[in-house]
Amino acid sequence: MLLRKNIVFLLIAAAVLSSDLCLAEDNRPMPSDLKFPPISFSPPKPERVALKNGMVLFLLKNDELPVLDINAVVRTGAAYEPDDKIGLAGLTATVMRTGGASSMSGDEVDEKLEFIAGGIDLQCNQTHLMASLSILKKDVDLGLRIYSDILMRPAFEQAKIDLAQKALIEGIRRKNDDPGAIAAREFGKLVYSGHPFGREPAIATVSSIKRDDLLDFHQKYFHPNRIIMSVTGDFQREEIIRKIEAAFKGWEPAREKLPAVKPIEKKFPLSVNYIEKDTTQSVVRMGHLGVKISNPDHFALQLMNDILGGSSFQSRLMQDIRTDRGLAYSVWSHFGAGVFDYDVFAVGVETKASTTAEVIRLVLGHIQKMREEPVSEQDLENAKQFLINSFVFKFASSAQVTNRMALFEFYGIPIDYLDKYLENIRKVTREDIQKAAREYLHPDGIIITVVGDQKKFDAPLSAFGEVRSIPLEKFE
Amino acid sequence: MKSHTLSRAFNSAMIPLLLITFLWPSPAHSFDLEKRVKERTLANGMKVIVMERHTSPTVSIFMRYKVGSVDEVTGNTGIAHFLEHLLFKGTKRLGTKDFEKEKPLLAIIEELGEALDQEELKGAKKDQEKTAQLNARLQEVQKEHKTLVESEVYSRYYQNQGGVGFNAATSNDDTVYMISLPSNKLELWANLESDRMENPVLREFYAERNVILEERRFRVDNSPEGELYEQFIATAFTAHPYQVPIIGWATDIRFLSKKAVEKFLKSYYSPNNAVVAMVGDIDPEKTFRLIENYFGGIPSQQLPPPSSTREPEQKGEKKVEVELEAEPQVLIGYHRPTLPHKDDYVFDVIHGVLSAGRTSRLFKALVQEKEVAVSADTSDAPGARFENLFVFGGTPRYPHTVKEVEDAFYEEIEKLKNEPVSGQELQKVVNQMEAEFIRGLGSNSGMAHRLSYFETVAGDWRYLLNHTQEIRKVTPEDIMRVARKYLVKSNRTVGVLVKKNSNQGAPVEKNADL
Repeated sequence: MLLRKNIVFLLIAAAVLSSDLCLAEDNRPMPSDLKFPPISFSPPKPERVALKNGMVLFLLKNDELPVLDINAVVRTGAAYEPDDKIGLAGLTATVMRTGGASSMSGDEVDEKLEFIAGGIDLQCNQTHLMASLSILKKDVDLGLRIYSDILMRPAFEQAKIDLAQKALIEGIRRKNDDPGAIAAREFGKLVYSGHPFGREPAIATVSSIKRDDLLDFHQKYFHPNRIIMSVTGDFQREEIIRKIEAAFKGWEPAREKLPAVKPIEKKFPLSVNYIEKDTTQSVVRMGHLGVKISNPDHFALQLMNDILGGSSFQSRLMQDIRTDRGLAYSVWSHFGAGVFDYDVFAVGVETKASTTAEVIRLVLGHIQKMREEPVSEQDLENAKQFLINSFVFKFASSAQVTNRMALFEFYGIPIDYLDKYLENIRKVTREDIQKAAREYLHPDGIIITVVGDQKKFDAPLSAFGEVRSIPLEKFE
Repeated sequence: MKSHTLSRAFNSAMIPLLLITFLWPSPAHSFDLEKRVKERTLANGMKVIVMERHTSPTVSIFMRYKVGSVDEVTGNTGIAHFLEHLLFKGTKRLGTKDFEKEKPLLAIIEELGEALDQEELKGAKKDQEKTAQLNARLQEVQKEHKTLVESEVYSRYYQNQGGVGFNAATSNDDTVYMISLPSNKLELWANLESDRMENPVLREFYAERNVILEERRFRVDNSPEGELYEQFIATAFTAHPYQVPIIGWATDIRFLSKKAVEKFLKSYYSPNNAVVAMVGDIDPEKTFRLIENYFGGIPSQQLPPPSSTREPEQKGEKKVEVELEAEPQVLIGYHRPTLPHKDDYVFDVIHGVLSAGRTSRLFKALVQEKEVAVSADTSDAPGARFENLFVFGGTPRYPHTVKEVEDAFYEEIEKLKNEPVSGQELQKVVNQMEAEFIRGLGSNSGMAHRLSYFETVAGDWRYLLNHTQEIRKVTPEDIMRVARKYLVKSNRTVGVLVKKNSNQGAPVEKNADL
């Protein structure tokens, strides 16, 4: 078991809200005067079980519904693809699911699963693949048989490879339809340029992938000692462990080490990028590299980001650019703490073409202000209260708790991370936030990416630096 | 298909939930839902539905008003959605430093804004000098008013107390306000929301109107899918107000007046037009008492009569094209009855047969065998309070054309008319709906959404319970009858996104083989 301490959350109302509100003219108490009863809650604790073949399970029984959910994290991803086969990891994931296994064809897998309303899904990102099974309790045996067969012995039927390849290529042909998608993609390529995270599949790389590539990729990366599996739902402990062991029987752990993904080079080049698209609203993405979760400053950065442009309507970007000025519907910031390597700091906003430069200037101003002035005690307290009082939602579903355990172990995040989380948030000071802002926000080394029509802009983008034009690929 | 709902916040945890176009469910056995769900109607007509679920000390609350864009009239389109945004601006006691001082300023702002709109409406003939003066004066008074405003007050109260998923959404049919809270904070909700129902003040009106115009640019004007969908729906409905886009036409939004919005508010935001569903770690009896205390004193009121307009029978195929800088797509819609009409259940089964999963008929025929499309599915649109559309949506795979995708859809429709669906296929659809019902029970917000939705749209949340029973009764003959009755050429509208010829740039990559 990972969480050894029996944490009890006492969620007590903190009457810290502003006192300058006028008295109610009706008999409702002011919301800041409400007193709430404390609640105590012991978060559910998954059990960790290591199997002989090296596979690790996290088990959490929850018999509310007659359902079993399994999520396996597998150590592979797009970052491991060779340069000339970009798209291989995603294609492997897709065709493992659709291309059949040793005991049945791809079509049979579909028929059997869909008839019993079961689901198997494989999705991969840069650094892990998630293979999930969701099945009604009565169908656990059949579900596990198909699931394990797919993970261990995928057949990669040629017809299903062709189909997936064509779908991927159609997706590439359509990648320039939506301005938001273009901005997000080009920003990602720029912030991670020179690193595998900054690559994208092209028709040529996808077309060059052959069945042998998929077989090799699977052979190289799918081994039980590289899998951490979370198991949630209505099961009996001994029985489910026995069934999982039996389903994956004969699967040998890998001995060789995985190739390393090269580390991200930390650099902050100022760059202004323009992508022409005939639109009435510009899509702006700006930012640079963030930090790693191992960096203890990320607690201060999380609070800093909440105040700058995090999820809340109270954030500075939202308050200024949307609520006060009416310049955008959506404006947000994200300061990521990467579990594998550096995450990113990013700001996103869409505004009509004629206010494009104005909005970019406002965003830069807020970033600068965060470096120059300490946040107010009230802003910091508000941000802390939200993280502290909403903490209980991190435990709202069993699958959420168990999947998180699996990912924590997978990425080597300390097992007491959440135990110490609230304490780490509470102790952040205004000085910590300003210090972190000065160290980790780089308005002079920021990447600005704009998709839009510069003929309609209020000022040329060259006001922010030398402009590079990125042409959009055209497809027949 | 696309969400038929507009949310106030862009990054909303609620959005995936609202993407569910077919909200079935229903029970192999009902998991005692009938017993677990308790309901109460207050004397003023407000409906309260409570479901206990004690897996974590949290509660999800969906407050739904039966008013949406379908209740709007020409010239004031977008008003339901705009009002939803404005209801975040506080009340007489919240969101203000001094409401008495605010009042005269609000009146001046309205007067100036109204005068400015009247001038702007003259277009080229407007008095430039007068416009500039009005504008300057408006900016000035707004700035003064701003010093009295406590902005984003709900966000502050809810989030400081740990609320998540704080958002609101407007659809053609309804408007919903949602929040999830630690369950000991339930009184905060009752306190804030009863005040919001009774005493809202529509502050920051003109800045918010500009936010909505940005939202329209974001969702429709610069989104190929959004633009196609808007034109498709506007073409499919000739008379019925379902033709109106939820966000409203741009020129209507631009000149929406405060008076009109306030009138709309008074007409529809009353307790007898509201349903609240709460799911989580709460005690039903205590909850009913709390709600009675806070909402019981709000008077009910006469609601406007529902529109008498019905869509006339369609007499021939309608077509619309939009030319955009994007790859082709197609939508094909057929008019059909809505719930609880018997044929609506038949359409639910047809949807399952045609589009649920990789073994569905459309995926197999269009994507896997003919390889003319990368996706092909069905959905209902745009709402469910009135007769609506059964929609086929397809994304062609180059070099295949929209025409080939259309023809492949029509071939599948002919099969539905002429060949009985097998028992195995029907059973699969029933199994999937039962499992979806069961999985749905595992989410507080999902259940709060469904209970409030069906209570509002179907008139009774028990629609959820009875759905599978009704689905089981559907026969292969019903499917052939319904397909023959509704899925006919003269009853359909075809919307096509055509790629605009662009003169810049040359093709970069070609691969004739793939």
